[in-house]
Amino acid sequence: MLPSLHASVTDTCLHLEIAGTWRLQTFKQIPRNAIPNATSSVVVDGSALTYLDTSGAWALLRLLHEAGIAVDTPNYLNFSPTHSAILDLVRQNFSASLADTAQTQRSLLAQLGRLVSTGVQRAHGLLAFVGVLSVEMLQLLRAPHRFRLREFTNQVEVVLVYAVPLAFAMMFLLGLVFSYLLGIQAKQFGANIFVVDGAALAVCRELAPVIVAILVAGRSGAAITAQLGTMKVYEEVDAISILGLSPYSVLVIPRILALLIALPLLVFVGDVAGLLGSMLVAAHQLDITPISFINRLDQVLDTKTVLIGLLKAPVFAIFIGVIACYMGLNVAKDARSIGVNTTATVVQSIVVVILLNAIFAILLVELDL
Amino acid sequence: MADDTLIAVDNIVTRFGANTIHDGVSMSVRRGEVVALIGGSGTGKSVLLKEIIGLLRPTLGSVTLFGESVWQVNDAALRALRQRFGMLFQDGALFSSINVARNVATPLFEHTHLSTADCLQLAQLKLALAGLPPSAANKMPNALSGGMRKRVALARALALDPELLFLDEPTSGLDPISARAFDHLIRTLADNLGLTVLLVTHDLDTLLSIIDRVIVLSNGKVLGSGTVAEIKQIDDDWLQAYFAARANTEK
Ligand SMILES: Nc1ncnc2c1ncn2[C@@H]1O[C@H](COP(=O)(O)OP(=O)(O)OP(=O)(O)O)[C@@H](O)[C@H]1O
Ligand SMILES: [Mg+2]
Repeated sequence: MLPSLHASVTDTCLHLEIAGTWRLQTFKQIPRNAIPNATSSVVVDGSALTYLDTSGAWALLRLLHEAGIAVDTPNYLNFSPTHSAILDLVRQNFSASLADTAQTQRSLLAQLGRLVSTGVQRAHGLLAFVGVLSVEMLQLLRAPHRFRLREFTNQVEVVLVYAVPLAFAMMFLLGLVFSYLLGIQAKQFGANIFVVDGAALAVCRELAPVIVAILVAGRSGAAITAQLGTMKVYEEVDAISILGLSPYSVLVIPRILALLIALPLLVFVGDVAGLLGSMLVAAHQLDITPISFINRLDQVLDTKTVLIGLLKAPVFAIFIGVIACYMGLNVAKDARSIGVNTTATVVQSIVVVILLNAIFAILLVELDL
Repeated sequence: MADDTLIAVDNIVTRFGANTIHDGVSMSVRRGEVVALIGGSGTGKSVLLKEIIGLLRPTLGSVTLFGESVWQVNDAALRALRQRFGMLFQDGALFSSINVARNVATPLFEHTHLSTADCLQLAQLKLALAGLPPSAANKMPNALSGGMRKRVALARALALDPELLFLDEPTSGLDPISARAFDHLIRTLADNLGLTVLLVTHDLDTLLSIIDRVIVLSNGKVLGSGTVAEIKQIDDDWLQAYFAARANTEK
């Protein structure tokens, strides 16, 4: 039965008769503004009420409240014991439910200020993190037996071994496509063999280091942040500290060192894969046999180019590792924050890799390398 | 079966691989009862609760809630059924990305067509009923203590004014004073709102203070069911040790 409310005024008394089902499911049908402003005494009669839950009781009290009647003043008559128990419970808590807790909208300036302040805090925190990390690394040099070899080898397995097929496939395809497009141009000038020069330089010096670093940032950087973040949320990190161990030497250093070892090796895999892709295109599209490809490679690809590519990798690795671990250890204690920080790790790592690569390019040109 | 039976569990068998957790569990709960499910760690209390509320399918057997078979009705019917009961998860299971008021209002947003303002005010009422101050409404879940999390979770379980409430270890992780206050709150709500409550607990004080009936789970079966006094008479090592632990601390 629908909820209804009948109001009648007798001399100085307002008589409210409520009937029907007053519950959450019928909340919308509860009449609004049905109560005339009170004259003096108010009587609420619940004899025809068939069902009442806390939502219905609250709706009734709100009607009274909106008509300017304090919820404690009326005389509640003829309510069944269960209904009056519910009504009493809700009445006791009614004022709390109306407490204004609407969040104030922050002004643009305040938002800007907050943004800047969190930025500064982040930078400050990152700096402190790097400081502590350096100290711990130095301490580890003095006491090498404290190094977590097992954790380190586990991480190398995850970061390096499982990433080899992916790095190989990506760079193989990239070398293939790059050489194919280069070949189309070179063919027009009969300069087929120069494709080898171009591919060798591009793959070893730029493509392999940057692409592999981005791959590792997306794959291992994200994994590190998510894992450390989850450990943080479940207080595992605190447990490690309480055991007298340092989360840096147990968690952070093995991961950063694993990245440091893995990234150059993956870049080397990428070099080989890219050149193989290029070799395939050369053989099919440009009539350069693998033998002549390798001979040409021997002439044009000097050790310096390969070394530059390989030496960028550890630098990328340190930045990716520091960002990923810092973000992981600085999640707030909730699930959302893990997602936010993982995304931040990937985005920041990729941006940093590309920036560093640009700096390398300029620096190396200035140094005539 | 009487008309007022809200929960009927019939011959539940649960196996995880070769591991048999329940080996023919039958029990029932009538309207208005406050029933506790006890048993040693790993006897499958939480699993049974999940099977009753339709989260985990038992290997064999049937579960009936409000006269409908949980594991035979279609999805829509199960969803409708779920609006009629509330569940308090062991760790609260609050949604960490939204504030307390919105956590409590979520069931209202999803299942009613009320305005946002109405939903939030009803959420405030539920928070007050669960014994939280209005200032808690704007906090994020990660800023709450364990006891407050439980209260918020209780408020959310009450959001749709359910007839039936499931609580998994409502007082675990609370200090004794908060735990007793929480017990008292559950009993008050049960009495005043006419709630039926099925709760899993290890807490003897809860048993002794607010429970109408206890069901003991042991070795995959229901060992016994009755008032605390009746349960105490059962000759079972675990049960005797359980009650003895209490007697020892009081000496
Ligand atoms: N998804 C699952 N897969 C395999 N085994 C499970 C699974 N869930 C629970 N179990 C096993 O079922 C048994 C009962 O678990 P349950 O969580 O119900 O115990 P409990 O009675 O609630 O114990 P406690 O009092 O410690 O909470 C345990 O032995 C557990 O290992
Ligand atoms: Mg359990």
